[in-house]
Amino acid sequence: MKVQHYLGGIENLGPVDVEKRVFVEPWEAQLFAVHTTMMGTGIWAWPDLRVLAESMNPLDYFKYRYYIKWLGGMCKFLVSRNYISDKELEEKTKYYLDNPEAKQPNAGDNDVTEKVIEYFYTGSNPYRDVAVNPIFKTGDTVRVKDMPPAAHTRLPGYLRNRTGIVETVYKGAYLYADNVPTDGICTAQPVYLVKFKTRDLWDDIPDKGDVLYNDFFEVYLEAA
Amino acid sequence: MSDDHDHEHHHHLRESETYYAARTKALESLFREKGLIGTDTVDRVINFFEHEMGPFNGAKVVAKAWTDPAFKGRLLADANKAIAELGMRDGIEGENLKVVENKPGTHNVVCCTLCSCWPWPLLGLPPYWFKDPVFRARIVREPRGVLSDFGVKLPDDHKIEIWDSSAQVRYFVIPERPAGTDGWDEEKLAALVSTEAMQGLGLATA
Repeated sequence: MKVQHYLGGIENLGPVDVEKRVFVEPWEAQLFAVHTTMMGTGIWAWPDLRVLAESMNPLDYFKYRYYIKWLGGMCKFLVSRNYISDKELEEKTKYYLDNPEAKQPNAGDNDVTEKVIEYFYTGSNPYRDVAVNPIFKTGDTVRVKDMPPAAHTRLPGYLRNRTGIVETVYKGAYLYADNVPTDGICTAQPVYLVKFKTRDLWDDIPDKGDVLYNDFFEVYLEAA
Repeated sequence: MSDDHDHEHHHHLRESETYYAARTKALESLFREKGLIGTDTVDRVINFFEHEMGPFNGAKVVAKAWTDPAFKGRLLADANKAIAELGMRDGIEGENLKVVENKPGTHNVVCCTLCSCWPWPLLGLPPYWFKDPVFRARIVREPRGVLSDFGVKLPDDHKIEIWDSSAQVRYFVIPERPAGTDGWDEEKLAALVSTEAMQGLGLATA
């Protein structure tokens, strides 16, 4: 069991840190831009980052700020895929630690820039307009399966083994990813919007009539 | 210096903002040398999310929906198609948008308990609170407690609808139009709409 898959519903955590900024240090914006460059040029995609986040020591996952985790994940990925070597990364890091005002090398491929911006506008649509025969229909009662642990999942822990009602059967099919190991979402399949009463998920909360919606890939559901 | 001490020192150095900044500079620098990035890419990307893809897009959509019921109907039915009417492009993390509407008695909140899925074309990049593990843990079980951390108190009889973005749809909330704004133009209305309000963690107020 990976704690990262089971965040929903954890109690006694104290107040939310209502930090409304996107970046709290200038290096985070720079790192983010390198990350989007990696996405826009096909070096990696979200699932690669998620696999790394989900494989972290869970205590570290809670301990470190969002972009600190990204920094660790990006370096690990780039070295493991031989885009850069650990040695040159260490040397360059030391160089910039010793020379904090040193400029970036005046080199690079400026064609990358528009490619990345265009990627922001095209995205990578997971929708597949293929004929599918969804197993469930609107109004069906479904049970969420408890899938075996995987390197990457899109099935929140707090909904496993729970029962809800299909609210919407989305048109067509969606592919999650085909480049990382998952628990069954590497093929295009129907996706369902399922409705739960939160009081059915946690019977010790006040009954306010609240509901929760979650989208499920078909492989995560069974008839109830 | 003993090995242990040396290790501690090294560890400490690797957990400072100075270290993270140097490490990030090292990454961009290696990318430049290897031709994996341009000299202007970082600045262009940062500028893009400051001026082209940000919460100002979502606020414009909300203001239009408040003033044009027919547009709101089309937005609720097919958000990607409707925003194109405003000359707005969708894209990354917004290929499949779904808009929901706050109404008297019903308040919507959006979360991503597994990571940080967020409707980029309408809101730009997610702020820190959305990615906070504490937010993600608590919002599904105790939404009123979380709203209180944001300074929001709903009337007692309001029901909450929570949208956990676990697959491929990205959710966006039209907040309730505040009283006393009759006759306001779209630009003035858009200025009332915060990022938080467009995910249900804030209210629009005049």
